[in-house]
Amino acid sequence: MDQPAITVSNLTKKFSFTAKEESSGWIKNLFSPVTKEIVAVDGVSFSVEHGERIAFIGPNGAGKSTTIKMLTGILFPTSGTVSILGLDPTKDRKKLAYQIGTVFGQRSQLLPNLPLTDSLEFFGVMYDLPEKIIQKRIVELVDLFDLGSFISQPVRKLSLGQRMRAEVAASLIHKPKIILLDEPTIGLDVVAKKALRDLLIRINKEENTTIFLTSHDVGDIESLCDRTIVINHGSVIKDLPTQDLARSFVYEKFIDLVAEHKFSTFPKLPAGIRYATTNANKITVVVDINKISVQAALIKLLTLFEVEDIDVYNADLETVIRHIYERNSDRA
Amino acid sequence: MSGIRIARKIISTLVKDRIHYPARLIIDTFAVIARCGLLLILYAHVFRINGGVINGTTFIFAAWSIFFYFSFSILRLRDISRAIMQDVQSGTIEMLLSKPFSYLWYRACWQIGSGIYSFITIFVVATIILGFWIGFPSTMLVGVFIPTFTLTFLCGSVLSLLVYSAVGLLAFWMEDVNPVFWVVDKAVMILGGSYLPVALFPPLMFKLALYSPFGATLFVSHTVSPSWQTTWTTLVGAQLFWIAIFGLVVYCMFERARRKVSINGG
Repeated sequence: MDQPAITVSNLTKKFSFTAKEESSGWIKNLFSPVTKEIVAVDGVSFSVEHGERIAFIGPNGAGKSTTIKMLTGILFPTSGTVSILGLDPTKDRKKLAYQIGTVFGQRSQLLPNLPLTDSLEFFGVMYDLPEKIIQKRIVELVDLFDLGSFISQPVRKLSLGQRMRAEVAASLIHKPKIILLDEPTIGLDVVAKKALRDLLIRINKEENTTIFLTSHDVGDIESLCDRTIVINHGSVIKDLPTQDLARSFVYEKFIDLVAEHKFSTFPKLPAGIRYATTNANKITVVVDINKISVQAALIKLLTLFEVEDIDVYNADLETVIRHIYERNSDRA
Repeated sequence: MSGIRIARKIISTLVKDRIHYPARLIIDTFAVIARCGLLLILYAHVFRINGGVINGTTFIFAAWSIFFYFSFSILRLRDISRAIMQDVQSGTIEMLLSKPFSYLWYRACWQIGSGIYSFITIFVVATIILGFWIGFPSTMLVGVFIPTFTLTFLCGSVLSLLVYSAVGLLAFWMEDVNPVFWVVDKAVMILGGSYLPVALFPPLMFKLALYSPFGATLFVSHTVSPSWQTTWTTLVGAQLFWIAIFGLVVYCMFERARRKVSINGG
C-alpha cells in the first residue's frame, strides 16, 4: 500500500496509418503508401492513491479512452511507463486483470441470451474464483446492486439502467482493487445515473476500491469524483480537486435580474458585461471580472433596469469545463 | 488448470445457451440434411449408372467420407475467422483483452462451445440413420477405427482452429479479410472432400489433399478408406506437423497484432 495505485509517467501513444494520396497513382498507393501519424496521448503523467475517486475528463478525441486502455494493458504505449499496483500492464496483462475491473459503457461484457446469474458465474470462473466464493460474491453483489428482481432474466431483456448495474456488478465479481470505467453512465436516465453513482461511492467506501472514470457527464464528476484530471489534445491540462475546479476558473460571474414589472428594452451593456439570456421577466448577464468588478457591474446594471430581485452566482461546473476545453483549443 | 476450467465453463455455458434456443439445432439439422442428403442421393445415382464402382471405390465408402466431412463442418470451427474479424472491427477485443485469459484460447473454446451441442446431436442421429440406410463399410468395423478417427478428428479440429484463426488475425492488418477467408475456405472444402470424396480425386489433387494444411484439417474424410489402416500414422503426423507450424504462425501473429490494437475512441 506504500506505492500509489496508479503511476503514469510521460505516457505517449502514437497511432500510425496509411493514407491514400490523391495525386499518386494506385500502384504507388498500393506499394508505397504514405504513412501518417496521430499523437493521441502526449507525455501524460499523474498518479492516483488507493481509494481515490478520479474523473478523467476531456472533449472527444482528447485521449481519455486511449489512456484508460493503456492503463488496462489493451493498448501498448509508444513511450512512457505505466505502473498499476506495481505491475506493468504491457508485461503483466493477465496478472493485472485479476486486480482491476473494467467497464466500457458502450460495450457489454454480459452473455445476452442467458440469465444474468450465468454471466456472473461465468466471470467468477474467468477470474479463477472457487465455486463457493463465486456463489457468496453473487449474493453480495445481488444485494449491493439490487439485482434480485431481474437476476433470472436473459440479459438482452434488461433495461439499459439494469444492464449497466449488472455490468458494474460483473466487473466487481473478483473484488478488484481498482475499477476503470469508460463512460459508464452514457445513455442512462437521471434516476439510473444517480443509482449507479451511489453504488460506485458505496463500493469505494465499503471496499476501498479506487475509481478511475472517464465521462462527459458533469454529474458523474461533481457527485462521484473527489479529483479531476482534465486532458485535451493528448496532454493533461489540469489536475486538481473537483471542488476547486469551479473556483479556480471563475473569471465570469452570472447575475440574474428579476423584473419589478416587465423588461421592455434591452439596452447596450457596458464593457465587460454581456447578456446571457433575456426575457420580459428575467435577464441573465455574464460579468467578466477581469474587466469590471461585480460591485461596479451591479451599480451599472441597477441604473439600466428596475429590478425586484438580484442573484449573483458562479458558473456551473459544465460551463467551467467548457471554458477549459475552449481555452485549450484556442491555444492549440 | 485455470485454462481447462475456463474452457469447461465456456463450453457448458454455450451448450446451455443452445439448449435454451433449439431453433439453431433445427436449422443445423436441416442444413445437413439438405446439403449432405442431396449430395448422397446424387452420388448414389452416379455410382449406380457406373456399375457401382468408380476409381476403385464403392458408394458406401464415398457416402461415409462425405458424411464425415459434413459432420465436421457442423462444429463451425471456421467461424472463428469471422469472430476474430468482428472483435477487431467492432472493438470488442478491448473488452476481452482486459480479462485474465488468453484471447485466442477464449475464442477457440467459444467456437467449440457454439457448435458442439449441434454436432453431437446431429452426428449421433445421422450416424444411426446412415448406418440403417446404407450400412457400415468394413473399414469402420475394425478395432483401430474409433481411436484413430477420434485422434484425427481432434487434430483436425485444432488445425482448423489455427488455420482460421490466422485468417481472422489478418483483420489487424487488412480492412476486409473476407477474400482471404473465401480462398482458404474453398481450399479446405475442395481438398477436404466436400464436393468430391477424396477417394475419387485425381493423383495430383490427392497429393495436395494429403500434404497441404487445408486438406489436413479434414483427414476425417479419409478414415473410411481401406488404406487408412496403413497410412493413419503418416497422416496424423502430417496434422501434428501443420499444427506446430500454424501454432507458431498464430502465436507470432497475435503477439504482433496486440501491439497494433487500435480501437475507435482510443
